Amino acid sequence: MSEPVISFERVTKRFGDLTAVDELSFAVPAGGIFGFLGGNGAGKTTSLRMALDILAPTSGAIRVLGAAPSRENAAAIGFLPEERGLYRRMTVLDTIVYFARLKRMEAGAARKAALQLLERLDLADRAKTPVVKLSKGLAQKVQVATALVNSPRLLLLDEPFSGLDPVNQGVLEELVSEAAQGGATVIFSTHVMQHAERLCDRLLLLAKGRKAFEGTQEEARQALPSRLTLTARSDPAALPGVAEAIELASPEPGWRSFDVKLQPGMIPGSVLEHCTTHAFPLREFNVRAPSLHEVFIHFVGAEKETAS
Amino acid sequence: MRAVLLVAAREFRQVIGTRGFWVMLLVVPLALAVSGFASSKLAPQRTSAYTIVDKSGRFAPEIDRRLELGYQQNALHRISEYVARWNLAAVDPQAPWANPQAWLSDSEVERFAASGGAEGAVARLRPHVPPGAAKLEVPERYFIAVPPPAAVQTDKGPEAFGEGIAATLQTDAVTPKGKFPYALAVYIPQNYGQPGATARIWTSGRPDTGLLGELRDDLTSALRRQMLERSGMPAEAAAQVQASVAPIAVSEPPPGKGRSVIATRSIVPIALVYLLMLTAITTGSMMLQGLVEERSNKLIESVLACIKPDALMQGKLLGLGAVGMAIIAVWAGCAAGAAFAFHGVTADILRPSLEAIDSGWLVLAMLFYFVSGYLILSIVFLAIGSVSDSIQDAQSYLSPVLMLVMIPVIIMMQAALRGPDELIVQVLSWIPFYTPFAMLARLGTGVSWPEIAGTSVLLLVFMAIELVFLGRLFRASLLGAGKPAWREIFAKIRSPEAGR
Repeated sequence: MSEPVISFERVTKRFGDLTAVDELSFAVPAGGIFGFLGGNGAGKTTSLRMALDILAPTSGAIRVLGAAPSRENAAAIGFLPEERGLYRRMTVLDTIVYFARLKRMEAGAARKAALQLLERLDLADRAKTPVVKLSKGLAQKVQVATALVNSPRLLLLDEPFSGLDPVNQGVLEELVSEAAQGGATVIFSTHVMQHAERLCDRLLLLAKGRKAFEGTQEEARQALPSRLTLTARSDPAALPGVAEAIELASPEPGWRSFDVKLQPGMIPGSVLEHCTTHAFPLREFNVRAPSLHEVFIHFVGAEKETAS
Repeated sequence: MRAVLLVAAREFRQVIGTRGFWVMLLVVPLALAVSGFASSKLAPQRTSAYTIVDKSGRFAPEIDRRLELGYQQNALHRISEYVARWNLAAVDPQAPWANPQAWLSDSEVERFAASGGAEGAVARLRPHVPPGAAKLEVPERYFIAVPPPAAVQTDKGPEAFGEGIAATLQTDAVTPKGKFPYALAVYIPQNYGQPGATARIWTSGRPDTGLLGELRDDLTSALRRQMLERSGMPAEAAAQVQASVAPIAVSEPPPGKGRSVIATRSIVPIALVYLLMLTAITTGSMMLQGLVEERSNKLIESVLACIKPDALMQGKLLGLGAVGMAIIAVWAGCAAGAAFAFHGVTADILRPSLEAIDSGWLVLAMLFYFVSGYLILSIVFLAIGSVSDSIQDAQSYLSPVLMLVMIPVIIMMQAALRGPDELIVQVLSWIPFYTPFAMLARLGTGVSWPEIAGTSVLLLVFMAIELVFLGRLFRASLLGAGKPAWREIFAKIRSPEAGR
């Protein structure tokens, strides 16, 4: 198995009395899109800044592209920070070239790559326009271009969709997918689960600086108790493996519908098997996979309870 | 180093791309040109006209003679200075103008007047003026006598004359040499010199005090002579008494020496102090504005993902330093160009000042103090920018800092003109924050090498400490938000891990 693109080993970051990241360990394999999920103050931005060597960990070890975090990696990394801004008086082309040069590209190559990228982003006619004259959406595109101009092996996006309208969110989703298809490993932090659900192969869930979950979306969903919509003649609460059954509106006389929550680890098939073998009449048996939002609430909410 | 240069180039390009930069760059040369033009073309006319009606017939010729002699004395002084400056004494070593002190002697002045006066001397010298020398011109007269206008009655007493001349005094007198404003008109009655007789003077409202004084002295002198004659003294003896002047011999230090030269030799260094303060504050403000923009619109994080904060700081210092040097080069070039193009007083003032900077080491020391002063102030501006979200935030930190810099420096500059040993200049030379200013101001008048070496070492140590401590503040504050309290600022400065 190849070395992870990023690995954190028991990393802690404290700011005075505040522990922003607490004993965090995870690894991001090469390729694909990795979601960094957590609420506000979960430690996402701090973790990304440590990976970029903008901040140093208080303790623990970090490896990025096979080495300790350093600006030496800048040539292989693209970064889009959560709060965005550009030099207002610089032109679009100069801005992209400047960041490409900061990432160690030669002047000629930087200019060529910038022009190609502007073409792809439908911004070629704005190359000489000062940033201050762009709309917010176009300026965001330019900022994305500064992250992509060096064709990075690792793309770090901190809350990339915040502040974008739905159209531009779609454009950005396409760019992220394209980068991943082109071989880059994409890591993005978000607290908007729909984006993660659509894009991520693997997830890291953070709560108060600690890891709450790491794995694939499927594994995340399996970690939650399954839910069923069940229509039967009698209350299924007594069935083995059922944790809770909430009655819904009755579809027709003699039949009752229930929102059923299974006990952790109980497979929906076992409940169905029990019903058929024990003459428990059913008209509907729908398994509802938990959404990522539910997964998020499950893990973050659990921690809240623990914390309190 | 590559990152530092990239940041420096961007900063440089950003600043020179602004209108403000070009306005500032052009303002000083433009101001110089305008003031030069204004002083040469628009300065108020110094020559004024006067009218004397002397009913006694005894005083006017004497007054005219003495005013003419005063003019020739002044002309001789100025022409002899010119002769000394451009080494023209060999043209006629026996001429009064070949002797720089001749103007102090009445007999020499009379000999000068008799030999053609100012016009004659200028005509004699002009063919020998070396190429590139300042233009030699006949010094202008301050007072020109004109007859009373024909319409003004002079035979019906002082009151009628006064009434008639009042309106004329508000106009210009037309003479063969041009139009000149009237300064005053004098009416000397026939019985002047007898008790109760008074010479009446009417002025334009803006009388020439020099002329008034001169007239009074001349009338007094003539009157005394007549009184001496009336008391029985022979006319010749009375004239001798009146003409007698206390013999004096003035000894001056040779050219280029003496106390007056302190001011002359300090001109370039003091100008450098002004330039240092002006450019450091101007470019520092630009840097501060840029940093506030980067910090407030959060683009700093994108930059820090690519380069270290130290490289960003060094790049900014280098870029803005280059802007400062470009400004200095343009201004200095314009000043030198103007000085050498016009050959006038400016060039004559600048030359001895530049001659004082006669060693390569001294130039190096000046450059060192200039660059150090620039860096010291720039780092302060950078630190302020790193803790400010807005220009308003920055102003609240900046105002006390600027007061701290400017007030002592301005006081020090005035003291430096009095002499290099003034206490405040000596003390500030050893306070590193002020060392560049104080030492620059003193270099033209001679500072010992041990003092230069000592203050330089102290300055380097201070700069290193400033770079370390304010560098910490810069690093620690770049990604912060809001305006930190002074307590937080000091905590960041103290912590070596600040910002990491």
